[in-house]
Amino acid sequence: MSEHHHDHENTVKPMVEEITEFEVLEIAIRELCIEKGIFSAEQHRIYTEFAEHIGPTPGAKLVAKAWLDPEFKKLALTDPMKACLEVDVDWLNPTGSGTTSDFHALQILEDTPTVHHVIVCCLCSCYPRPLLGNSPEWYRSPNYRRRIVRWPRPVLAEFGLELPDNVEVRIEDSNQKHRFMVMPIRPEGTEGWSEDQLAEIVTRDCMIGVALPKPGVTTNVKTKTTPAVRPIGS
Amino acid sequence: MITSDVFWAYMKCPQDQGGQLHPAEPFLEKQEEQWELMTYVLCEVLGWGGVWVSEERRRIADVEIGLSAYLGLPYYFRWLWAATKTLVEKEYITWGELTDRLVEVQDRYADGLNGRVPNAQPKYEGDGSKVKRNNWVTDSLGKGDPTMYAGQANPAKFKVGDRVKVRDLPALLYTRTPEYVRGAEGMISHLSYESPAPEDEAWGREGDKPEWFYIVRFKQIDLWDTYHGPESDSLQTEIPERWLQAFV
Repeated sequence: MSEHHHDHENTVKPMVEEITEFEVLEIAIRELCIEKGIFSAEQHRIYTEFAEHIGPTPGAKLVAKAWLDPEFKKLALTDPMKACLEVDVDWLNPTGSGTTSDFHALQILEDTPTVHHVIVCCLCSCYPRPLLGNSPEWYRSPNYRRRIVRWPRPVLAEFGLELPDNVEVRIEDSNQKHRFMVMPIRPEGTEGWSEDQLAEIVTRDCMIGVALPKPGVTTNVKTKTTPAVRPIGS
Repeated sequence: MITSDVFWAYMKCPQDQGGQLHPAEPFLEKQEEQWELMTYVLCEVLGWGGVWVSEERRRIADVEIGLSAYLGLPYYFRWLWAATKTLVEKEYITWGELTDRLVEVQDRYADGLNGRVPNAQPKYEGDGSKVKRNNWVTDSLGKGDPTMYAGQANPAKFKVGDRVKVRDLPALLYTRTPEYVRGAEGMISHLSYESPAPEDEAWGREGDKPEWFYIVRFKQIDLWDTYHGPESDSLQTEIPERWLQAFV
């Protein structure tokens, strides 16, 4: 056995799967809270179930419905909370007061041939969770938050979206209690489509405003994913 | 010599990231860790239980944690740290209870996970009837926040279409008015809702008088010296009345 090989064997420890500091802290706090009655195990269970089931589907459905039904579109733009009920999203769920982080104030931003909206939160990660689920990692990153407010067109170009100069790019920095969602323009080539067909091309990215809906495109622009050590439900 | 500019650069809230220089990095998705989902749930359930409002979490997680941890540690760790700090600060748990429990959980998994998925094992369920809770829990029930504050502010000072200037206030400790709009001129595009200002909500205060919030539209060329896009490009953000002054 060579010297090198020998050293190697002495220094490499066997692989032990260890708990992380993050997991230890979360577990410790959750146990203490339940033991002290700060919240109940049942409340925690109810909220977990809510959190596991939110996603962009209701948002896509809402947009598709609005494309097909001018009356519903009017409702979505003037009374978004009521419109959300029609896609089975009640912003007072799951607590009766709503979620503490998403509040109870929503605006749906309608794109027009001359105005294109993009949402961001330059302060943290404000995002319409009940309608779109949790925000993507990049939405919370300084990379997006720092640049999209100041260099919107170059950043949009990185997502493959280049808009002509006669389209006003309007950044909506959602830094207070309003939450925002973009309602893009219905693209050409979708004539006669059903609500379900239309909803499929309204991707999460379209409702953030970094992409436009396109027949045949049903996935988000950036799909490279950093894997988790112990992902949800592992 | 600490000049005024340098002083306010040190005092700037770490969370206020908009417009800072940054190289173009790839945009990545991330598979969420179980502890990250559990942290999100924990923080929301603490709100449901009346321990804090989410603005308190933002103050602790996004400002008081300091810039290096803000930029260097995982997003949800900041939430978790804020929950921990608030529970100790508000005397729900002691430092000793926290530390003992950390040791206990570490010991439980000291030999490695060996295929186990870490999970909480509370010894019993406590009686929550004597736990101190804020008024938000009952005041927001069936209404939501900020809907719960409707009708409580003084009449709105501005209306849609009004020209306004964002005041450049000496904002210490906490604010949600980004630095990049301070001193800028814009136009009221929407009368939003009534709510206490985040700068007060961040401390868990209750009973403060709500004020009107407005969505203000700015031209990008009025915000940045070097905006190279078309003149019509714009940015909107929401601002409480105290930060706005009339501008003709």
